[in-house]
Amino acid sequence: MAKEEEDLGFWGDARQTRVVKDLFSIPPPVKKLFDRVPVVTYPPNPLPQRGPKTSRVPSLYVFSNDVDAAAGRPSFNPSCLKWQTFLNIAGIDHRLISSNNHASPTGSLPFLLPAAQSSNVSQEFLPPIPSNKLVKYASEHGGRVKEPSNVRYEAYQSLLDHRIRNAWLYTLYLEPLNFSAVAYELYVSPTSSSALVRASISHTLRAAAEAELLKQSAVIDADDLYSEADKAFEALSTLLGDDLWFFGGDKPALFDASVFAYTQLLLDDGLGWKEKKLCMALRRRENLVLHRERLLVRYFGGS
Amino acid sequence: MASPSDAGDSLFESLTKVDPKKAEAQAKELEERLLAQNVKAQNRLRELIGSNSTLPVTINKVLLVGGGHTRRSFLDPIFNPLLSVNRDRPYTLGEALHEVGSVATKLERFGIFKEPISTFIDRPSQTDPSTTVTDIDVYIRAQERGRFSAKTGTDIGNAEGSAYGEVQLRNIFGGAESLNLNASAGTRTRSSYQAIFDTPVLSDPEKRITIDALASSTHKPWASHEEGLTGGGLKYSWATKSGMRHQLAYTGVWRQITGLGEKASPTVRNDAGDSVKSSITHTWLADRLNHPLLPSRGYLIKTVSEIAGWGPLKGDVGFLKSEIVTTGALPIPIPGIKGDSGVSLTAGLRSGFLLPLPVGFGGASQPSRINDRFILGGPTDVRGFKMGGLGPHDGSDSVGGDVYAAGSANLLVPFPRVGKDAPLRLQLFANAGRLLPLKDSKGKGKAEAGKSVQKDFYSTVSQLGDGLPSTAVGVGVVYAHPVARFELNFSLPLVMRRGEEGRKGLQFGVGINFL
Repeated sequence: MAKEEEDLGFWGDARQTRVVKDLFSIPPPVKKLFDRVPVVTYPPNPLPQRGPKTSRVPSLYVFSNDVDAAAGRPSFNPSCLKWQTFLNIAGIDHRLISSNNHASPTGSLPFLLPAAQSSNVSQEFLPPIPSNKLVKYASEHGGRVKEPSNVRYEAYQSLLDHRIRNAWLYTLYLEPLNFSAVAYELYVSPTSSSALVRASISHTLRAAAEAELLKQSAVIDADDLYSEADKAFEALSTLLGDDLWFFGGDKPALFDASVFAYTQLLLDDGLGWKEKKLCMALRRRENLVLHRERLLVRYFGGS
Repeated sequence: MASPSDAGDSLFESLTKVDPKKAEAQAKELEERLLAQNVKAQNRLRELIGSNSTLPVTINKVLLVGGGHTRRSFLDPIFNPLLSVNRDRPYTLGEALHEVGSVATKLERFGIFKEPISTFIDRPSQTDPSTTVTDIDVYIRAQERGRFSAKTGTDIGNAEGSAYGEVQLRNIFGGAESLNLNASAGTRTRSSYQAIFDTPVLSDPEKRITIDALASSTHKPWASHEEGLTGGGLKYSWATKSGMRHQLAYTGVWRQITGLGEKASPTVRNDAGDSVKSSITHTWLADRLNHPLLPSRGYLIKTVSEIAGWGPLKGDVGFLKSEIVTTGALPIPIPGIKGDSGVSLTAGLRSGFLLPLPVGFGGASQPSRINDRFILGGPTDVRGFKMGGLGPHDGSDSVGGDVYAAGSANLLVPFPRVGKDAPLRLQLFANAGRLLPLKDSKGKGKAEAGKSVQKDFYSTVSQLGDGLPSTAVGVGVVYAHPVARFELNFSLPLVMRRGEEGRKGLQFGVGINFL
């Protein structure tokens, strides 16, 4: 009907448009009636118990468990941990909510759900902020965001995004020992108690990791992946040198968070790594180990 | 051409020219004569049977003609009770005919034979020394339906339209077993694949076992998400002598809440992801309505009780869920109109609750999830509200509730001039409902969790009566198409809670089960 209205407006003259519009607008007596109802309006229904309690601070949805999330402990997923650390560094107060990829508007975690400004939650809608817009969000909300400008920044970032990430994907999902000891406990067990569902999700996860690696090379060569990662750690170690933070900053920044996202998880003995090739490669770079400890103490209370 | 003589002409004309009136009269006479003959023949037969109805007979042999694929072991339990050998006293002819008739109806109910199934009775040849004088033979002629059929089409369900393709295998093992493979895509159910194997138990068409497997994805715009289902179940259905239907079902299903809309609320985001429901459901139905879609007399009561997760059921969710649906219809006589006036009053009442239970043996119970909770409102239940328009709302999402009650009263009046026999009515309705989440007693320690759930439940139920229920009234047109009921209503919501979504003005509803 709306289409018809438009067409007439386009072909007919202005008066005809008005007539057609009048035809579809609510006649005054009916409008008067509509304005009178509902006669009684009560306060809203309460919300079901399972929903998260409303909060004054924004919520960062990450891979975690309820206990760790409430305590603000590091997430076990590198990209979640990167942005969690970034928000901590930027001084953006937030709470963590343990979640999974299905909850995200982009299909992957993390994302930030801004806090309602007023107490009246149902009246306004604040869109979720995906991870690639978090820097902008932080700078708009009084966060301390300082990005060093360095010509080689992109190159080092790509070391993390490709070489180290690929080795990470391999060691976590495709090393059978690590998959059953680490990935299964973190990503599969919490989804469901059903063995069939767990088997299906395990398969999906491993297939996705494999597909991701095959995107970049025709074959998956474990030794090659590990040696590339080893070289990448070496390069990062050289870049850091004796500085406290990367690129000679006086305070940590996003790049430090990106490195910490992997170093924290590879050096965390609590995860129970079984095949430790990648962990060993990192442990050999003492300045990276110390860098991780500095961030852990400063932003996560050393836990 | 030579012109024929006058006399010949008139004779010829009188022969060719048929007086239409005379012809009609003749045809009528013929018809009447045939009819009279038929009636006479029938009467004679009835008299014959009537006068012989007490004649003792014994059924010696039952023959099924045309049951090529059907197993003997499947047919024996149906036919054996007919045979006089298996009876403690002899038949009269009347009884025998009655029994044979009911066996034929039973056969029809399996759906593997073409209707109608005809029966014949014959006397066995007297030369056969094994027969006695009272013996009769029963012949049942049934033609088997095709064992394979495929069809495509469109379907209308409650507030949804879909297109489907279906393949059916009938009488697979010769015992009226069927396998139904079905794929459909629709407005709400994005995609659905289903396989259903169905078989009667002990050759009884009223007792059936069904095994099904399902994979589907359904869009739920009222709560900004899509739900994917993968699972299967085992059902046993039976009917009692008084016509009440029961069904006991086990269902195991993997649910996935995914594809969240950008505006999805925190409550929906919190429930996103996977969960497995393992449950046993009992359904009881007593349907005494005189018409499934536009009843004017009778009642319907249906109860559904489901227990999930508890004890050996396991899974990820634990709850006890129970629902009762009732409908009653009453014809209203109008003074001055003889017989059925076509005016009727129908009323419906529904209510349900969901009580969290611990999963497995012991432990604390978890609050309900969005895919287990009830939703209420929409053109097919509480009219005058949007789909899921009643109950708790987080932002624009209808997140459902744990306890509900809804009622409706509709006055249906035939259209002037169209008459009461047309499936068309004007309706005047008032309906109301209330949907609430289980009250949160603010977790007073885990130790008394079990007790507090019970206390929460009672306080929630008592809360249903707080204030007026959310209510809407309206007028509309109802059309009962053989496939579904269509309604176009003008509605006005009168009482609402803030956050609930009413529908002022026109609302269109298509469905099978209306409140």
